[in-house]
Amino acid sequence: MKEDSPRGHLHPITTTIREICLVFDKLGFSVVSGPELETEFHNFDALNVPADHPARDMQDTFWIKTKKGEEKKVLRTHTSPVQVRFMQQMAKEGPKPFKIIVPGKVYRNEATDTTHEAQFYQVEGLYVNERVSMAELKGVLEHMMKKLFGDDVEIRFRPSFFPFTEPSVEVDMRWRGKWLEMGGAGLVNPKVFEAAGLDSKKWQGFAFGFGIDRIAMLKFGYDDVRLGYTGDLRLINQF
Amino acid sequence: MKVSRNWLQTYFEKPIPKATELAELFNFHAFEVEGIEEVDDDSVLDVKVLPDRAHYALSHRGIAREVSVITGMPLKAHRIPTGPEATLTKMPEVRVENTQFCRRYMARYAEIPSVKGSNPHAEAMLSAIGQRAIHSIVDATNIVMFDCGQPLHIFDADKVVGTIVVRNAKEGEKILLLDSVAGADREVALLATDHVIADDEGPIAIAGVKGGKRAGIVSTTRHLIIESANFDPTSVRRTSTRLNLRSESSKRYENEITPELTATGMNDVCALILHNISEAQFGPIVDTYPVKAKQTHIDFDPAYLEERLGITVPLADARDILMRLGVHVVEKKSSWQLSIPYERLDLMDPVDIVEEVGRVYGYDKVQSALPPALEDMVPMDKTFYWTEYLKDLLVTQGFSEAQTYTLVSKGHCEVSYPLASDKSALRERLTPKMGEVLTMNAHNADLLGLETVKVFEIGKVFPKSGEKVSIAIGVLQIKKKKGVTSESVLREVVARLEKISGASFAARFETIGGAMIAEADISMREGSGVPSFKGKLSELDSGLFSKGKRYIPFSRYPFITRDIALFAPADTDEEMVQHVIQTSLRDSADKLLVKGPDCFDRFEKGGKKSFAFRMIFQAFDRTLSDEEVNGFMQALYTAVKGKGWEVR
Repeated sequence: MKEDSPRGHLHPITTTIREICLVFDKLGFSVVSGPELETEFHNFDALNVPADHPARDMQDTFWIKTKKGEEKKVLRTHTSPVQVRFMQQMAKEGPKPFKIIVPGKVYRNEATDTTHEAQFYQVEGLYVNERVSMAELKGVLEHMMKKLFGDDVEIRFRPSFFPFTEPSVEVDMRWRGKWLEMGGAGLVNPKVFEAAGLDSKKWQGFAFGFGIDRIAMLKFGYDDVRLGYTGDLRLINQF
Repeated sequence: MKVSRNWLQTYFEKPIPKATELAELFNFHAFEVEGIEEVDDDSVLDVKVLPDRAHYALSHRGIAREVSVITGMPLKAHRIPTGPEATLTKMPEVRVENTQFCRRYMARYAEIPSVKGSNPHAEAMLSAIGQRAIHSIVDATNIVMFDCGQPLHIFDADKVVGTIVVRNAKEGEKILLLDSVAGADREVALLATDHVIADDEGPIAIAGVKGGKRAGIVSTTRHLIIESANFDPTSVRRTSTRLNLRSESSKRYENEITPELTATGMNDVCALILHNISEAQFGPIVDTYPVKAKQTHIDFDPAYLEERLGITVPLADARDILMRLGVHVVEKKSSWQLSIPYERLDLMDPVDIVEEVGRVYGYDKVQSALPPALEDMVPMDKTFYWTEYLKDLLVTQGFSEAQTYTLVSKGHCEVSYPLASDKSALRERLTPKMGEVLTMNAHNADLLGLETVKVFEIGKVFPKSGEKVSIAIGVLQIKKKKGVTSESVLREVVARLEKISGASFAARFETIGGAMIAEADISMREGSGVPSFKGKLSELDSGLFSKGKRYIPFSRYPFITRDIALFAPADTDEEMVQHVIQTSLRDSADKLLVKGPDCFDRFEKGGKKSFAFRMIFQAFDRTLSDEEVNGFMQALYTAVKGKGWEVR
């Protein structure tokens, strides 16, 4: 053998997460993480998604069997509960402006196909300060997409609804002549600040969430999200 | 929500935009349109109404309002006439026991000469939006519900005994339901937390969800009790979900509608019944409305628009948008006093007003800006950096990174409603799946060009002691080598990782088949023997992300490996032999040669050189046969012999 130990290969999701985190690092965002097994409070209630509300239907949820009297637990359906956890910590330690980014695995209890998987990765961003606007949200997301996909991409907002942001928007990116849905975003709903123990009169923020698998698939060109979770080196060793 | 363009047109004097243009306007100013369907001479838009707008937009009226708001086209002033006056004196007796649940209950007695069949106009309206016409009475309730958003129900007055009571169900109480669609009647048992409309003999409807068979309208019905009511969203949702009885009515209630709409529904349905059956006569309306809905008032500082949107919206434009939304605006010195239309239960706070003005004015007008730099940066998550650092170390040691499923067949944490039995619990360890990954990749080792399959995974595991980050490192030695085993390779690597990183893993080693796997807890915690943290993101390997490398699909069919070994004169070099093999196989196998020829052995003996090459054949669309590959090899032997070389 010429080479005793040739280099191995990082998973495409890993390199995508690193690239995203690096882009945000340069904008002053720090990587933060949280548990995948979440409480109902952090995954839903604190994010203004009350029990028995139609907004709960927007995400198919894996509930975990619990004993009577135990707090209800879910596999987190999004990385947004980390927002709440971080803001609770801020409220305790003394609030100040911050920028965080949260890459992580999330789960949805839905049938799988080439573009849907029961587990996938999301990246959450949160910026909190005394004054935060949609213009800054657009600026940051445009910067992110240009760094990831090239300077010629465009982004646009469409109105949407997420219980934890108001206003809420869908974010589209125009890449190689096509508009693609990339993620959701908006200004932090004052109710989320209140639930996390921060003064909603004082603090404002923006938040966004993007699918990392989607970014990896666009970038690397693999066409089945499920392929990423087979451990098949015929995919991984190409990168 | 299916929206008929013809139906929307009835709200306007002037022609409204084409369906494709409406879809474009909705997409950028209100809600997503998921499709447009052409139905006869109508276009039907499938509008995705999300929960915040479902209070008002699950109706053509709400959608028409949006058309007016976005385009500036005025709505018709008097589209629906005031409902019929009472010409009869008969009134239903109504008692609302639970006013928390039932915020308003209107009922009206009516007489008709017969239940007429559906008229063609109603049939066309309903079928356009995917609904079936039944007969003039049921059609009227459906049309009014899809028009203004208020669910309605009509009972046969002759079958209602005594007083109509809105009350909690009794535990175990049963009701036989109307089921006009499937044709089959269904009896359900109720809980004390459900709510019913009952008469002296028992339930005649599950409130807000479904009517009962006993007091339902039949072809011989002559006397009606028309109900328009408002019920508690949470309770309707719980009942309809539990009984698997989600209907167009329950959907509107569970999203919450204003009790003010109850009167609109009653007015409109009576007007429509009279329109269909001109001999119809009506009694007075009974209205039980204990607590009148409060109108929302918002004190709004118009400067807040610029602060949150980051653009200057001319105040006159902002005011016009609000007025078109039906918001009453009173301009005070430093703020606007806004009175919100009753149906807009979603508008409660100044941020909601920012969204309304922003979306209508247009998010495309928002110019990008970057937020300021902050004094303090949040410290990076230690576990994140530590796991990424380990990944890089492993890659330099020749390991590739796998990701597998968190959901497995067995584990301490079980999922309540699993997708499949093999995905019913959270993994407690990574090792079992790592064994499968090694074995699977070992089958492809030739194709991958691997003598040793080396894989790692880092991910969350969920043992009894709680969620933690685990690493599994797996080795499967394929090529037999003296003194080299899966175990020896793995132990050496783990020792090297500990040496370089300064951490002690206390890894647990396990053999699965011929593979060896080490697993360790690498959660970053105080005093866990992990090296001090100094990492920077920019020091990590960013791989091929920016290099433009694209995935090349691989065949899912089996491949065939063949070797050729030959003797050639001493002056022959490897490249010459490779060239001869390549040329021959390009002619015979072409794209079926997916890997090679790779020289894996060479030596000199008796003035001759020996070479051994390996080739892999595989088809993208089928399983290759041995015969086919034998053919390529025969042609290759002939080519090699033609060079005067000797096939061994």
